[in-house]
Amino acid sequence: MKFTDRKLPTLIVLALGILVVPTATFAHHAFTAEFDGDAPVLLRGKVTRVEWINPHAWVHLDAVQEDGTTVAWMVEGGTPNTLLRAGINKNSLVPGTEIVVRGYQSKDHACTPSCKANGRDVTFPDGRKIFMGSSGTGAPRDGADPREPPRT
Amino acid sequence: MNTISTICAASMLLMATAARADYAAPRTAAGEPDLQGVWTNATITPVERMNFFPQLVLTKPQADMLEQRTREFAERGSAPTDPDAPPPEAGDDVGGYNSFWIDAGTTVALVNGEYRSSLITSPADGKLPYTPAAQAKRVQLLMSIRDGLDGPEQRPLGERCLVGFGSTSGPPMLPVLYNNNYQIVQAPGSVMILAEMNHDARIVRIGGEHPPTDVRTWMGDSIGHWEGDTLVVETTNFHPAQSMRACIRYQIYMSANATVTERFTRVAHDQILYQFTVDDAEAFSEPWSGEIPMRASEGPIYEYACHEGNYSLPGILAGARREARTTDEGAE
Repeated sequence: MKFTDRKLPTLIVLALGILVVPTATFAHHAFTAEFDGDAPVLLRGKVTRVEWINPHAWVHLDAVQEDGTTVAWMVEGGTPNTLLRAGINKNSLVPGTEIVVRGYQSKDHACTPSCKANGRDVTFPDGRKIFMGSSGTGAPRDGADPREPPRT
Repeated sequence: MNTISTICAASMLLMATAARADYAAPRTAAGEPDLQGVWTNATITPVERMNFFPQLVLTKPQADMLEQRTREFAERGSAPTDPDAPPPEAGDDVGGYNSFWIDAGTTVALVNGEYRSSLITSPADGKLPYTPAAQAKRVQLLMSIRDGLDGPEQRPLGERCLVGFGSTSGPPMLPVLYNNNYQIVQAPGSVMILAEMNHDARIVRIGGEHPPTDVRTWMGDSIGHWEGDTLVVETTNFHPAQSMRACIRYQIYMSANATVTERFTRVAHDQILYQFTVDDAEAFSEPWSGEIPMRASEGPIYEYACHEGNYSLPGILAGARREARTTDEGAE
């Protein structure tokens, strides 16, 4: 196959397990098992605290509703170990910081003590990602998620 | 290629070979080759061969192109989002999280001066040589991961924080999406290999013997010996629950009766050559082997206290309960 083949970049992405969209569908667990694909969320609000824990960090925020009241949400991230290696630590995202979250609500729809969502895309209000500096590769939607029909 | 460049290439290859042959690993106090330190096996080279690169060895331009693609995807993942972008669409893949959490490597595996298209070196096609029965078993196990939501016992080991996901702690130790770091510590009669996942520490007993086959442990039972400067580790007695080694990058089925032989050779001050062979007549039509460079990592190893923060497991099970209730209500 020649390098000029238009399909090549996509094939490479699928083969190497590299990022297509800035998400990882299955790492420590299957995200499709935990989050509801029919319940997308767009949250805006201030960080209240960050749990720098494994296997996944959680960013807590008070999401502002249309009527001005707030609802407590917690948003799932990845392992903090990667961030530590990239020079990011628990002082890098402090309470009071305004963030925007695009993701999906947890399948249990439980909101005690907080509603839960995955952090498919977590940014500052101007669109910049809240963290930078990773060597950054991710996961494609290539059927490798065991919630999807397996490759045979 | 002209004559001069051919000679140059041949000379560089010879120099690379000579560098490895001349290299003498440092010694521990006990006089053994010193493999101690923190190492990483992160690489963009996949376990199995890519179809569009049928040869094991890539040219430098091919390797450069793959690494360039990786950088481009990382940059794309780090690019700002449109501040006015709507929420994701209903019915879409839920995705996971931003790429800054991921650390799957940025370079093609470089072994003996060769850029590799797969970590598997044998069979020659770089593919896992499953028997048809084992391939069927593999699919069945993957489906059981998808559908087994009655209780925690049905969930995969990684999700339960019992063993790292995929085959990160192995053996064979294969890279996953992040935490591809290992610490090796040697003591008289033992070599300890710690994976940065779930506190998976494997103790290799030098000169030891395997226990009876009904003793089954996570990561199997590892014994070792030295062949010159190479640490040879043989592992058997795998726990049957660890037969499915699934992650986003690969989903490998191995039977509990597999024997894995690993060879650790320090080929430079900053590199261990990790070679392995999986011998498993129950699952594969022939043994399969691979080679992975383990490069010195900027330590330290960080803790991965998985149980303490594992909100995912109860969330997954609670989600299944809610789905069942919704289905029941819809049926009434």
